[in-house]
Amino acid sequence: MLEAYKEEFLGNSIQFILLDKEGLIRESDNTCISFSNGDSIKEYHPFFESLEAVSLDEKEEFTFNCVHLEGDEGTLIADLVLKKNEEGFLLIVYDLTQHYEEYQTVAQARNESIIQEQLIALKNSELEERERFKNQFIRNFSHEIRNPLTSIMSITQVLAQTDLNEEQKRMVGFLTESNANLRLLLEDILSISMIASGKLALNEKDFNLQDLLELIQFTYLTKAKEAGLSFQASVDGKIPKIVSGDRLRIYQVLTNLLDNAIKYTETGTITFKGSLNQIRANRANIRFSVADTGRGIPEDKRTAVFDSFSQIKETDRQKGAGLGLSIVKGLLDLMDTEIRVNSTPDKGSEFYFDINLKIPLPSSMNEPEATEKIPVKFAKRGFKKDKYRILLVEDDALIQTVLFKFLSNTDKFYIELVTDGAKVMEEVVNTPYDLIILDINIPNITGDQIARLIRDFPFKGIKDIPIIGVTGTLFEEDLKRFKKAGINSIIPKPFNQEELLKKVFKHIK
Amino acid sequence: MQKSKKVLLLGHFGVGKTSLIRRFVSDSFTDNYKVTIGVHITKKVVDLPSGTKLSMILWDLEGTDELHLIRNAYLMGTHGVIFVFDVSRPATFQHIDRDLDIISKKIPKAPLLVVGNKLDLVDKGDIKGLLEENAIQSDYLTSAKTGNAVEETFMDLAKRLDL
Repeated sequence: MLEAYKEEFLGNSIQFILLDKEGLIRESDNTCISFSNGDSIKEYHPFFESLEAVSLDEKEEFTFNCVHLEGDEGTLIADLVLKKNEEGFLLIVYDLTQHYEEYQTVAQARNESIIQEQLIALKNSELEERERFKNQFIRNFSHEIRNPLTSIMSITQVLAQTDLNEEQKRMVGFLTESNANLRLLLEDILSISMIASGKLALNEKDFNLQDLLELIQFTYLTKAKEAGLSFQASVDGKIPKIVSGDRLRIYQVLTNLLDNAIKYTETGTITFKGSLNQIRANRANIRFSVADTGRGIPEDKRTAVFDSFSQIKETDRQKGAGLGLSIVKGLLDLMDTEIRVNSTPDKGSEFYFDINLKIPLPSSMNEPEATEKIPVKFAKRGFKKDKYRILLVEDDALIQTVLFKFLSNTDKFYIELVTDGAKVMEEVVNTPYDLIILDINIPNITGDQIARLIRDFPFKGIKDIPIIGVTGTLFEEDLKRFKKAGINSIIPKPFNQEELLKKVFKHIK
Repeated sequence: MQKSKKVLLLGHFGVGKTSLIRRFVSDSFTDNYKVTIGVHITKKVVDLPSGTKLSMILWDLEGTDELHLIRNAYLMGTHGVIFVFDVSRPATFQHIDRDLDIISKKIPKAPLLVVGNKLDLVDKGDIKGLLEENAIQSDYLTSAKTGNAVEETFMDLAKRLDL
């Protein structure tokens, strides 16, 4: 009975062969492979050239799995057992061709999938590396361009204050406008590279949202008018006054949306709305929307408009780099929300988003950040002294000239100049200063090192002199370092006279 | 004089061990990747400058990144080893020191050549930096597809086996 089963299930799958020590066939049942007695098995397949190594080894029995034996009758995939005996070897061939072919299919799928994963991971890491390089390049480039841009902007501003004829005034006006556009572009490029590289962190503080929205309405009423458009604003009175969030970035999102609306609308109205959706668990959910009556966005372009350097038409090149909406998207991603758009071609578009802003509890409320409602006329402020003494630490001749000009126009300052960082301490010890304006990248000693030396000085009157740093390095980690060193405030390059004076008057006593 | 020597090709899967043998033995190549399972054994007889006819028994072992799991039966009687990695796929050479260490322990006396294959898939300018970055000292950089340095690799090993 068992013999019948063996015959059925083992069938032609096991072959027994006796070999002499030279590998000549002594006896074979020829179940799988046909041999004649006296044939050399080494001639059948090169695998059997290993018989010599087997005979030299001290082990008596060897198993070789999944050996491909290519012969005249096709390929046999077999497990081979070689057992030494006195006359030579017993070779048992287990024909497992079907089993191994099935395994081969599985292994093929597995290996291909692993290789594919590895190649995708490699491609991704190459792309990430390129992206890192690109962002680093943009950051360095943006930084390097700030010095000359500061000079150009500032000199233009100084030039505008001189006696000019009408034609010259018109040309200086063009220069001023181009400078402002260049500066915005630079800020946009830097923002997008910081967002892309994950270096942009939100700086959440309590701030007066209503003031911010008023400022925006005030600014864009004017801007829209200048562009020949009407401007409608509707801000829900239920929106909390004080909220916690990144005021600067919220401002940047809203102004980018409004600038974009003005840019792409030739006639009609720009509508700005802020409405409270709900307040829950000390969080206000607010919807902001900006609608225009511009040309609209075709349906197939509605995702692409949020890509960097994206513009709807080739002719839009004149209208900027196409970074605004990309920055909006990146910033809103950071704020855990997303920008949405409704648009009808030739009728207009509406961009909107819902944002959650924490409402600070009265007990934990910080002093809200001051907002700039209306440009301040500094010269009209009341001062305790007639003149203040400022130490200017700056090695760049052009920036020196600009700072001198900007400060001296107010007639409120005595200004001393130091061009070498190593001489700052000597100067502050010998002269009582009201303020230090410090170039962070001064030769011999860095601005933050100087600030630390001053803050560690044992005498009051020196250790508490307000320090304003001037720098083109505006990356989050650097700003934290400057603050830790004791620098009170930073004036980012490029800057204009108003920005400089605002900071200066804030810090003098 | 005729000699027979067993040569093992080792390395991760998909690095092109089978393709290198096919290029050397039959001067052909196919882009279709077919996974090797178990072992394929091929023979090629080469004439060496010494006058020796060397029969190279080429054992093409199933690729694995766990060389320590290769059964000793396959390694028995090995005279020479070619370790192959894929220059376009870092996963195949990231642990090359560990892999070569395992080979040296399992087959201590056999000459060993380290070969970076698929040279055709990478920018030649990047290769030097890539090898330096990973501290890899390869004996040959080959392309089974173009045939670049394939013959030289096997013949170099054949000469070493003739000594």
